[in-house]
Amino acid sequence: MLSLFKNRAPSPQPLGPLEVAVMELLWTHGESNVREVVDRLDRPLAYTTIMTTLDRLYKKRLLQRQKVDRAFYYAPTLTREEWDHKRAGEFVAGFLATPEPARELLISCLVEAVGQHDEALLDELEKKIRLRRKELARRQRP
Amino acid sequence: MILSYLLRLCCLCLSTFFLVHTAVGLVVAMTSGAAIRAALGMAPRRASRLLLLLRLLPAGLALFVVMGVCVPSYLWLETDASGEAVGAICLVAALLAAVQCVWSLVRGGRAAARTRRHAHSWERESRAAKLSAVAAPVWILETRPPVVALAGLFHSHLVISRPVIQALSAPQLAAALRHEEAHRRSHDNLKRLVVLLSPDLLPGVSAFAALERAWARFSEWAADDEAVEGNPDSSLSLAAALVCVARLGGRHSVPPLTAAFLGNPAELSQRVDRLLSPVAPVAPRRYNPLAIGGYLALTLTAALLLQPASLASAHRILEDLIH
Repeated sequence: MLSLFKNRAPSPQPLGPLEVAVMELLWTHGESNVREVVDRLDRPLAYTTIMTTLDRLYKKRLLQRQKVDRAFYYAPTLTREEWDHKRAGEFVAGFLATPEPARELLISCLVEAVGQHDEALLDELEKKIRLRRKELARRQRP
Repeated sequence: MILSYLLRLCCLCLSTFFLVHTAVGLVVAMTSGAAIRAALGMAPRRASRLLLLLRLLPAGLALFVVMGVCVPSYLWLETDASGEAVGAICLVAALLAAVQCVWSLVRGGRAAARTRRHAHSWERESRAAKLSAVAAPVWILETRPPVVALAGLFHSHLVISRPVIQALSAPQLAAALRHEEAHRRSHDNLKRLVVLLSPDLLPGVSAFAALERAWARFSEWAADDEAVEGNPDSSLSLAAALVCVARLGGRHSVPPLTAAFLGNPAELSQRVDRLLSPVAPVAPRRYNPLAIGGYLALTLTAALLLQPASLASAHRILEDLIH
């Protein structure tokens, strides 16, 4: 049943820089109206520009809105993690849908990245063990 | 549907099993998060016992009710040996229980067969040798990829490959073998089989997955603690052995009912961190008041259930269920 609801979630579409900035603001501050978004942006932009951007994000189903005292309040439909997860999933699925060489390239890149991560983790663990051993030897010395 | 005396008994046993198992299973699934959190405050061996008990509780209790109540009351009070109609609900519940049991039997059987095959191939390709760290002979694999594991269900053997022996220092090797020996002492491979044979909440619905993962994690921690016995030097040797085997590439998958030295590779970091600050081992209590209380309660319940009045009441309930 959960998957039925999940299917209704918006599919990731490329977002412009302003759309990303607005989404970031809404993820950080939660539900906001147009005026609040305009005030919180780090660059001065027209009220109507933000209103159009919010409306576009609403139509892309990335935002939901409700009317309070003649003003719309917008809130993200997905958390930032859900959005990132979806984007990564779509990216990988898109790559895997391509012909064989590109698919293999992606998989080898992923395996390499995981391998590098593993090596780094093992290096870190080894360092911790060495430090602990030194500490232990220092403590055991009379 | 009209069923004969024995078929009715089978149907009744299966449907009772399904109802009790589902009810207890739902409670266990809902409380498993709290149980895992509580287990974090316990010694690993105790925590693993508690989680295993919880995992097996639905099937155990359902079997207890079937064998202790359902069968005796039916055999004693159901005198009508002729055919009798059985209700649709009872039939559906019996059918679901049958699917559930067959599903888990097939799952357990397949895992056991795969493990057995693997253990045989390891036995053929290895030579048994005595290593100073453990009393029992160890199977040494010359040609295989890096592996340290406990193979086999009933007569388990420690298996280690030559590259691992060459890569580990003597204290690291001793710590790794003691870890596997701890798995053997606690019959962890056999427990894995029992878990697989114990049905899920519904066929294909793994409501106890979190409980099983936590049990596996605590079993590894318990084996770690028993291998190092609170000795900081041994603890560091075991941590270093874990990292060394991981570096050798010993993270490939092993058969399902095999205790591999690295356990779940995703938890390697956590295990090493634990070993860097070992805690003093907790001496096992000779008499566990909880276990004694449990045995007493079980005996008392069985005695009460086998009273004629209890069996007669149970029979009335079963009559309702069957119709």
